[in-house]
Amino acid sequence: MESISFMRKHRNLFLLIAVIVVVAIWKPHAAIYGLQRGSLYSLVGLPLSLTLGVVGIMNLAHGDFLSLGIYFVYLFATNLGMDPLVSIIPVFFLLFGLGVVIYKLTITRVMKSGHLNQLLLTFGISMILLEAMNVIWTSRPRSVYVEYSSSSTTIAGVRFGTYELLYVVFAFAVLIALQLFLKKTRLGQATFAVGQNPQGAKIVGINTGFVYLFVFGISIAILGIAAGVMVPRFAIFPSVGSAFTMKSFCLVAMAGLGNLTGILVSGIVLGVGEAIVQSIPGYAGWSDIVFFGVLIAVIMIRSLRRQSL
Amino acid sequence: MSILKLDKVTKRFGGLVAVDNVSMEIQQGEILGLIGPNGAGKTTLTNLISGVHMVSEGKIIFDGIDITFLPAHKRCNLGIARTFQIARPLKNLTVVENIMVGGLFGNGEKLKESKKSALMLCETIGLEEPDQTLDKITVLDIKKIEIARAMATKPKILFLDEVMSGLNMDETREMIDTVRKIRGTGVTICIIEHVMSVIREITERVIVLDRGTILAEGPYSEVSQQHNVITAYLGEDA
Amino acid sequence: MKITKSLVIIMLLIAAALLPVVTEAYFISVAITILTFMTLSISWDMMLRTGQLSFGTAGFFGLGGYTGIIAVADFGVDPLVGIILGGLLAGGVSLLLGMAILRLRGLYFAITTMALASVFMVIIRNLNKLTGGPSGKIVYTTLFNYDSVKVYWLMLGITVGTIVVSEVFQRTRVHFAIDSIRADETVAKSHGVNIYKYLIFVFVVTSIIQGVIGSTYALQYGFVYPESSFSAHYLLLPIAMALVGGIYSTIGPVLGAIILGLSSEYLKLIMPYGHLIIYGVIIVVVVLFLPNGVYGAIKDVTGFRKRRLEER
Repeated sequence: MESISFMRKHRNLFLLIAVIVVVAIWKPHAAIYGLQRGSLYSLVGLPLSLTLGVVGIMNLAHGDFLSLGIYFVYLFATNLGMDPLVSIIPVFFLLFGLGVVIYKLTITRVMKSGHLNQLLLTFGISMILLEAMNVIWTSRPRSVYVEYSSSSTTIAGVRFGTYELLYVVFAFAVLIALQLFLKKTRLGQATFAVGQNPQGAKIVGINTGFVYLFVFGISIAILGIAAGVMVPRFAIFPSVGSAFTMKSFCLVAMAGLGNLTGILVSGIVLGVGEAIVQSIPGYAGWSDIVFFGVLIAVIMIRSLRRQSL
Repeated sequence: MSILKLDKVTKRFGGLVAVDNVSMEIQQGEILGLIGPNGAGKTTLTNLISGVHMVSEGKIIFDGIDITFLPAHKRCNLGIARTFQIARPLKNLTVVENIMVGGLFGNGEKLKESKKSALMLCETIGLEEPDQTLDKITVLDIKKIEIARAMATKPKILFLDEVMSGLNMDETREMIDTVRKIRGTGVTICIIEHVMSVIREITERVIVLDRGTILAEGPYSEVSQQHNVITAYLGEDA
Repeated sequence: MKITKSLVIIMLLIAAALLPVVTEAYFISVAITILTFMTLSISWDMMLRTGQLSFGTAGFFGLGGYTGIIAVADFGVDPLVGIILGGLLAGGVSLLLGMAILRLRGLYFAITTMALASVFMVIIRNLNKLTGGPSGKIVYTTLFNYDSVKVYWLMLGITVGTIVVSEVFQRTRVHFAIDSIRADETVAKSHGVNIYKYLIFVFVVTSIIQGVIGSTYALQYGFVYPESSFSAHYLLLPIAMALVGGIYSTIGPVLGAIILGLSSEYLKLIMPYGHLIIYGVIIVVVVLFLPNGVYGAIKDVTGFRKRRLEER
């Protein structure tokens, strides 16, 4: 895990602000929408960066855990009448527990087996989750209605949804919380050390096994936060989270390993990119493959510079 | 006649300078020793020459050709071969198949041809069970496979990276004879070693590397008396 | 020993070819399905042997299907030509894609191939006029006009062809290149192996196979539809079959396809919903406990017995 990727932190943020300002003037609606949607991508991407950077495995079931979290929120809402945002708390702990259990039962065994086995394992888990959700809840879309979720305001003649600003709030909040965790807590510093140099961390007495377990659990738990904030505005069906797996990886590829702020920046860049494409008349449907184009571009740029993650 | 020339070669890994402004020449047909304390950059230098890494600065000229930006497999085809410090046998292939890889792709041979030459190499170097799989193989045999595999590419220059480590006296003697035999076929040899007795015995010239720069050059007898070389090696026994 | 082996193979081929004569329509269609997945599984394994994990089988399968249907529907070509075109388009796309991503391979390659099916689906949904968009496309000139016996023989031919290609890869210099790349790329390239070239070569060949199978499958029935042509089935099952039968071999995916193909027919009867979960479980269990699959286990046991005999 490098602490500096090929885009330095501050240059990142200035560039981002500049881009947002430019887009805001040219296509204000895309700027707002992109900022909101992109923050959601960042919120989902941050835990993947954590898993990939610290535990060193790519969790192909990432998006499916998000879907599962969304169904948990749905259950709390329909059976207990809980507000989705409130249900973040129990779902967070539920998903943490689930992550820990799955890690202990399966992932520990392939930590030393090489990347192929790890990818195949998480792929298998992803398929199991997806099919299980299909069987239990079928593909019939469901929804949870919350009145404040459809509120909107108009600023400078541009009308936009206010609920989605929560995505931005939560993305920043989780980023700051993670940074604080990594810098100020003992477990966090141990986590950072393991991400930098797992062998070295072991030698100085850090219980790397526990760190891996905890980080994996936390990354699934954070998906619960995203799930809670998404439910009021998203149709609920088993594969709702699947696209997020690949978009999250795209963010990690853009930002480089270990660069959490970069995930936030990259997410917003991707969101704005999609929003711009969506606003082009006749080409709106192509916005879903913007991430793919970005991913290919990142791969080609990195291979020219002979850099990997 | 110089077969390999390094011109102000530097290699940086992030903030670390592993090889610092190194210029050197290797003469055709010589046995050159490359020595220096651990971490001096000897293996990195070998990696730069064979193409595992690309230089950050500088030029590498081999046999008159500028190979600075050539990929590793092309350099092998031109005649650069090397063994690896920590031996890396191809575990999913048998002994003879390992060697055949060198012949097939390093020397462009056809399947039957390369099997024949690989078997011959096995005989020359003393590998008695060519069809054996690699799960139960001895340290000495692994080193022999490394060397035979590199030799199968029919190189003009061969870099031997710490082939003597972990060998007993008889095995070391055998290996020294093998190295001499290889040079006898016209191959230039650059041998990286920590076992000074071997360096003293087979090299005609050594280059001493320390912290990425060249400390000294010359016959071992001279270089080993130099004060800066001794200090760099403080604690190493000769 | 070699003569008996060849005899066995010839007999199996004859038996396979005669199958439709001795059985009825239902079994023929099961056999066609098994052959379809068998070829996908073998082609997936061929890429795996290079050390690269591809999740693109469903993507190229669907791409081939769409090419075949569009070629027949809009350009009036014969279905057999449509099949060839399906393979060619898949090959072309994989060539461009491979050139872009195989320099960085590993995780990047795996995830990019995983995204393929969704990306193709988005493109197809947006190119309404050509592809029929979200409602799919139908054609009334099908392969051999629904004659399932002829379809079966074609599938058998394609499968045998795939097996031949796979075995050629195992027995020529390609085998040495691929195995050395998989074992240790640094060693491979230090001994003259052009890794990039070989990876692209294998990727394109396997994608062509997947495209051919995809278009054959689509042209049997005469329709394509985004969600079903690119279904994750065509990714999940071939992987499970190769894992069960034994990866890094031709016979492994063949065995796995027969075992899982037959048991899935049975499963479908007792478990109409959710039998796909089983495949996910199979993958997880095999990866955790039996990474060499059935073929590997047999090899280990017979190897063990052979050594025991020699020790006496």
